Formats: sequence, structure tokens, C-alpha cells
Amino acid sequence: MTTAAPAAVTAPVPRPDPPRRRRVSRDSLAAWGLLSPNLLVFGVFLFLPLLATVWLSFYSSSGFGPREFVGADNYTELFGDSTFWRATANTGLYALLTVPVSLVIGLGIALAMNKPLRGRGVLRAIYYVPYVISGVVIAVAGRWIFNENVGVINRLLRSAGLDGVPWQSDAVGAMGSLVLISIWTKIGFVMVVYLAGLQSIPKEYLEAAQTDGAGRWQRLRYVVVPLLKPTTIFLVVLGVIESFQVFDIVYVLTGGGPGNATEMLVTYAYAEGFDARRQGYAATIGVVTYLFIAVLTALWYRRQRAQEADL
Amino acid sequence: MISSRLSRRGFLGATAAGALALTGCGTGFALQSGDGTGSTEGRLSFTLWAGEAELAAFRTVAERWTATSGVPVVFNVVPFSEALTGVDANLASNRGPDLFRVTYQDIGIYAAGGALLDLTDLLPGGFLQGFGDAFVSAVQSEGRVYGVPHHTDTSLVLYDTEALAGARIPTSLDDAWTWEEFRSVAAGLPTAEAQFAFGVNWQLAGAYRWLNWVDQRGGRLLTDDLTGPAIDSAEGRDALAFTQAFFTDGLVPPTTSTKGSYVDELFTTGTIAMVFAGDFLLPTIDPAFVSAGREYGATFLPADERASADLGGNAVVATAQSVNPEAAADFLAFLSDDEQQALFCEQATVLPTRTALLGQQLDYAVRPDLMELFVEQATTITPELSAQVTVPQFNAVNSSIVDRLEQAFLSGDDPGRVLADLAEDITGRLA
Repeated sequence: MTTAAPAAVTAPVPRPDPPRRRRVSRDSLAAWGLLSPNLLVFGVFLFLPLLATVWLSFYSSSGFGPREFVGADNYTELFGDSTFWRATANTGLYALLTVPVSLVIGLGIALAMNKPLRGRGVLRAIYYVPYVISGVVIAVAGRWIFNENVGVINRLLRSAGLDGVPWQSDAVGAMGSLVLISIWTKIGFVMVVYLAGLQSIPKEYLEAAQTDGAGRWQRLRYVVVPLLKPTTIFLVVLGVIESFQVFDIVYVLTGGGPGNATEMLVTYAYAEGFDARRQGYAATIGVVTYLFIAVLTALWYRRQRAQEADL
Repeated sequence: MISSRLSRRGFLGATAAGALALTGCGTGFALQSGDGTGSTEGRLSFTLWAGEAELAAFRTVAERWTATSGVPVVFNVVPFSEALTGVDANLASNRGPDLFRVTYQDIGIYAAGGALLDLTDLLPGGFLQGFGDAFVSAVQSEGRVYGVPHHTDTSLVLYDTEALAGARIPTSLDDAWTWEEFRSVAAGLPTAEAQFAFGVNWQLAGAYRWLNWVDQRGGRLLTDDLTGPAIDSAEGRDALAFTQAFFTDGLVPPTTSTKGSYVDELFTTGTIAMVFAGDFLLPTIDPAFVSAGREYGATFLPADERASADLGGNAVVATAQSVNPEAAADFLAFLSDDEQQALFCEQATVLPTRTALLGQQLDYAVRPDLMELFVEQATTITPELSAQVTVPQFNAVNSSIVDRLEQAFLSGDDPGRVLADLAEDITGRLA
């Protein structure tokens, strides 16, 4: 008894774990503390406006004064609205024309910038500048460049004895001017993201391919491009989402014209909401645009997950 | 472990402190509600867009009124494109200003939405009798008065003197060009590549100016009771066919359709020899011609069955949210009396709405000789046309006019079909 007692005193006694509920509670308190600022910002500036937009889409409203509940009338009208479908098709076409081309050009520039090159930092900055400049400023510059009557391009063409391009009065010319300006603004961002992707490719893969006799094109085709696939998917989805949100360049450069040739979903929502003062209908266009974007994002996550599972 | 706990607590403490700081910022935002946009007792807040000359004139008038009333006027100057969007947002959040500037075409929707102060019993008795009928009609809705007709604008044909050297230039309303004569003059102008005879100011919010042609032909946009479309008529089709030919015959730049570029710049750069332009553009056009050593003149709008002109210009209204309704009404009456309106028109190069000023020689700052013609043309603005372009739904109707005219001008669609579509649109917009 007496001999056993000191042993019992000196023997290491495992410290009991704190009650699980208490630990969880403290951890979750910290987690909520960290999350709450962001949740507050998202809640106030994203979720609440989103819910308010959905709510407004069931009303007829000029933005002030009494509102009238119209049920699903706005949605019924929207699905029979030829201008809405034209704007949807235009937005899709715009995405189709700008995203792939900006990806190809951006990748090409990223490949060039990934090599030792004098003044590489300055060149990267030059390519990136259009992406960080305000879209309105870009579009105002675009108006000087693409103005059908007094723009730089048409003046040069006419001085060379050629016909000017109908940048404003022809559907193809107007969409062309938008696409060219948009590609110019997008390639800087694409270049930076691809550059990060290229720098994460282990050099051993490229060296091994070279040892196996692969030429420059084959290394690009069979090693670099496949390894950049997650980056490409990210850029495609982001580019398509941006395309569905395009507003400033279109509003300033073409105003949606000629006719509805360059009307996009967001410019149409703006025209209905603020020019025609049909804010309930504009909210409906916003909700449907949101659903388009949500579906695209969901598809992106699904693709990403499948790809991660393959790896 | 202990230090980790401490730092976490420290972080949470800092977060709490940050939250308190943000609460403080909230107080700051509250203080900023006195930034000139919301109505507050003891002063008048006035939201408006204004060029330099206009703002100077507004300030002069406000200082005169404050000197006698003792109530200061705080101006909130915003760009034209954002003015009404901002007013809408403030009204929706119950922070509307006491007063705001508004186009005649926008008054109806605000009045119908209950956003405007009913001035019928607040303005001095018989006050509106001092204004032209078209302007009185423009500030009334269902027999009630919701604003004062502060000034008007209308269009004339400005022309490059050298380009029209051989043409007959009408010098009075009675001998204004007929449609055919106008077309003949335009078709006879020498044009080079990328140069055109003229441009018309019917872009975007100005699309309603196309109705001048309909009115000149004797047609109407809306029925007499303003409840349905009347545009799909022989007169409407004639007007559309005539104006459509401007594009199909290459008389106007294809870029100047209803969704296209504003035309005044094309006139100053020499792309077009004539331009349909409002008087408010003279301060921009005049220096460009003077600096280029060129000369320009003005003549009346072409006439057909009758002469007609567009109702431009602005009213000033008070909001129903104003906590100073008597002061607001008193300021509006002062702002648009003979003396103050004359001062404003002279400084800002715009036209008066008061009948007493129509016969007077105002001392305009820019081209007073041409302003006389604008004043004369403004007498052809009819109450009938004025009533049609100030219905509450006119914004939406104007959007349809923009779309349908573009369809006719650039796609060359049949005028009958276009006007049938427009009539259908209008029926929906008015419903």
C-alpha cells in the first residue's frame, strides 16, 4: 500500500481531453468569427440584392411609387420576347468569338513571356494594362478607333483608297468592333493566368519529352497543353461568365445597335429598367441571366471535380 | 498553446473593435445624408444636371431668392445620364430632394407614381396663365400641376453657309421649305466620300423628335384621349417613308439612326452640311465654327400640312417627400417668373416658356440672331403634340420608337409593317 502510493503519484497520468462539445464550440466560434465579415459583406451586397431582384421580378414597378404584383407575367412575357432571345444569342455569339481567340493569343504571349527575354517585365505590364483600365475608358478609345465616319481605322483605309468598314451601321461590323476591343482587354488576364500555369509545370516533364525526341510543337501539343487543361477550363468558364455580364463596352461603343445586333442581356436589362422604366421586367432579365451563369458555374465545378477524381 | 489562444482571443477582440469601428463608419454615413440630396428642414435641396452657364444662372437666381426668403438652396449637380437614375434611387429610399430638374417627357411617370408635390394650390393664383399652352399641358397630369415650365428648346436646321451658297434659305415660318423642297436642296448638295447632306437629331431619348414629321403631315402618335396608338395611319406611313428615304438614298450618314451617334459633332467636323439641332447646342457648335474660320446659319424646320416642332427643354418639380413644400413652391414660382426666366435663358442660351418673354428681345450670349429664329420656331410646338409626349408611359413608348425606327432606317423594312409593330408596342406600353 505504502509502496504503491508513490508509484501511483509519479506514474504519468494522461491528461483528459477537454470535453468534445466545448472544443467544437470554441472552434466553431473562431470559424464564425473569421467568416462573419465576409458573410456580412456577401449578405448585404450580394444575397440581399439577389433576393430583392427575384422578388421584384414578380412585380410591375417603375422604381418608385406603388408596385403591382403580376405573378409570373414578366417571365411569360420574357420567354415570348424576341429581343430577349436576340440578346441571348448575341451574348452567346460574343462569348464564342471572344473567349477562344483571347485564350489562344493569351497562351501564345504567355509562352513568349515564359522565356528569358529583355524587358519581359515591362512587356507583361503592357499586355496587362488594358485589363485593369475601366471598360468605359476602353470603349471611349474604341469609339475613336472604330468610328465609321471619322475613326482612325476608316481614315487609314480611305487614305489607302479602300472603302471604310461600316462599324456602326452594319451588324457584322458592330459586333466585330466589340469583339476586337474585348479580345484586346482580355488577353492580358489570360496571359497572366497561363503564365502561372506554365511556371507550375515541372521542367522534368519537358526534358523527358525532349529526350524522347519530341520537338517544340510536340512538347507543346502533348505535354504543355494537356497539363494546362485545368487552367484552360478555369479561363473558359470565367470568360463565358464575364461575357454574360458585359455591359460597359457595349453601352458606350455600340449602344446595342444597329437594330438589336449587339444588344446583350445586361444592356437589354438596363434599357428596360432605366430607359423604359420597367424595373420588374429588367429584374426578370437579371434573374434569368443569373440562372444562365449559375448553370455554367455548376458545370464548371462538376468538370473540375471529375478531373480531380481522375488525378 | 497559450500564446495561440491569446492571439485568437486577440484576433476576436480586434474583430469586435473593428465591428465597433464600422458602426462608427455607419454614423459617418448617416451624417452624409446632409450632402445635398435629401430633403431637410430649413433649406432646399435641388438635384439637377447643368452646364457651366446654366449652373451659374441657377446659382444667381437661388441667391436672389435666398436673400428674401432666408432659406438656402443646396445644389446637387449630376451628369444628365445619371440624374434621373439617382433621383429614382433617392425617392425609392425615401431620401428624395426637395426639387429636381426633369425633362417634360419624364414628368408624367413621376406624377403617376405619386412622387411629385401637387403644386396646384401652392403656386400663386393664375400663375400658369403666364406660360404658353403647350408648356402648361406638359406640366399637368389629370388636371393637377406638378411643376413649372422652366425653359424650352426646339430644333432648327443649321447649315454650313458655304455648302448651301446657291440654295434658297427660308427667312420666315411662312416660307419654310416644304418637304419636297428640303429633299431637293439636300439631294443637290455636293458630297464626297464619307460626306453627307445632313443629319437629324432623333437619337435615343430624342427619338420623339421624329414625331415632328408625323405632326407636320397632320398625323398623331396617340389617339385624342391618349389611351391608344394612332401612328399606324396614312400620315404616319408617309412620314416614315419620307424619312426612311434619307437613309436609303444616302442623304444622311448611316450611323445617325435612332441608336446611332449624335449629329452635332458631324456638323462641326464637316461630315454633314446641315444638321437638325437644338438651341442648347449653339454654345458648342459656335466656337468650333469660329475657330475653323467657317460660317453657319439657321433656318426653320421643313413644313408640310403645317409647321411643327419638338417640345424640348426642362421643367423643375418638387417632390412629395419634401419637408419644405411651401418654400419649394415659392422657389419654383420665383425661378420661373419673367425676370428670372429671362436671366436664365440669356445666360444658358435656351428659350423662354413665358408668353411675356416671347415678344421680347433677350440678350443671348451666343448668336442672338439665330435665337430669334428658335423662338419663332418654338411657337409651332402644339399643345396636342405636347400632351402626347408627356403621358406617364412615354419613356417606354420612346424606347419602342427607337427600336422600330432603327428597323425602318437601317433594315429598310416596309413602313406599314414597322408602324403596325410600333402600334402594337404602344398598346402594350400604355396597358
